[in-house]
Amino acid sequence: MKKLVTSVAFALGALLVLPALAFAHEGEAAVEESASGIGLLLPKLGEWIPMLLAFIILWIVLAKFAWPAFMGMIDKRTATIKDSLERAESAKIESEHILVENQATIISAKKQAAEIIADAKVAEESVRAEITAKAQQEAQATLARAVATIETEKKVAVAELQSSVADLSISVVGRLIGADLSDDEHRRIIERYIAEAGDLDVN
Amino acid sequence: MSTDRTLQRKESAVYVQTLLEAVKAENRVFEVSGQLEQAVTIIRGNFELRNTLGDQGVPLAARKNILAELFTGFDEALLAVLGIMVEREDIPLLSRVNEAYVEAAEEYLGSIILDVTTVVELDAPLREAIRKKYSAQLGRDVLLREHLDPSIMGGIVISTHGRRIDASVASQLESARAVLADVTSRG
Repeated sequence: MKKLVTSVAFALGALLVLPALAFAHEGEAAVEESASGIGLLLPKLGEWIPMLLAFIILWIVLAKFAWPAFMGMIDKRTATIKDSLERAESAKIESEHILVENQATIISAKKQAAEIIADAKVAEESVRAEITAKAQQEAQATLARAVATIETEKKVAVAELQSSVADLSISVVGRLIGADLSDDEHRRIIERYIAEAGDLDVN
Repeated sequence: MSTDRTLQRKESAVYVQTLLEAVKAENRVFEVSGQLEQAVTIIRGNFELRNTLGDQGVPLAARKNILAELFTGFDEALLAVLGIMVEREDIPLLSRVNEAYVEAAEEYLGSIILDVTTVVELDAPLREAIRKKYSAQLGRDVLLREHLDPSIMGGIVISTHGRRIDASVASQLESARAVLADVTSRG
């Protein structure tokens, strides 16, 4: 550290002295340069050597003390950037991997959802068909029972009507016979019935 | 009244024998059979009368008076036997007594008694026709117990010993009614 301070102090001292020498000859050179144009572009030998020395000294100081620190900082920065880039690349790869996995998961979920919906539709169709068939069967059974009941009631009603008609007819005939037949006609009927009557087998 | 059948038969035979012996002298065996048949029909067909005749709570004299008033004109011997049956609570035996009496009367008379039911009274030719037909058929002379019943509407019903020939208009109309109902029901 002490060495560094000494070197810097030496360099700064050279820089302060050498330009003063250069500026001391600046007045004479300016008079000479003003004589020709090219002289304005070429450095004077008395100025060039101190400047070179100052440059070399500065270069050595910088190369010895500033450059390694600068390069260390650059390397550190490079390493940091490289590390960041690597981490970013890794994160990118990981995110791409996760993305792929997520996409696969989404596709699988969509597929499962589609299957569930398809199954639900099939089940719904099946249940609907079953309910419809059952309802139709019940309706047909109800209709059949109703038809059978109506048919039975119809037969009963017709039988009752026929029986009533027969009763009424016979009743009318009986009344006509009872009212219209004289005793002699009754006796003629008895005579005919005796002739037609069957046997009395008492044995 | 006894519940033993053999005893009931014997009791019935005693009543029949008593009645038959009583009416033989007056030659009213056949006539009494008709009266007995009529009495059985009346008593059997009237629940209240049957109960009254068998009710011990009703004085015997009153029950006999009922018989006398109900069967006015009937043979005295028959009324006497009926009175004894009431007194001994044997009215339930009346149907058995009637059957036994008919059998005894037929045996005594040498004839078979036919119950003939018509709407109008039979005349002589009809009686003769019936006698002739059934005498030939049964191999014995027949005696007719005639009954009038408007409910048969016409024709004739003949019965004896549990056998019955129903040639009445009512039964023929009933057959016709059944046939008519059957034919119409079959469409």
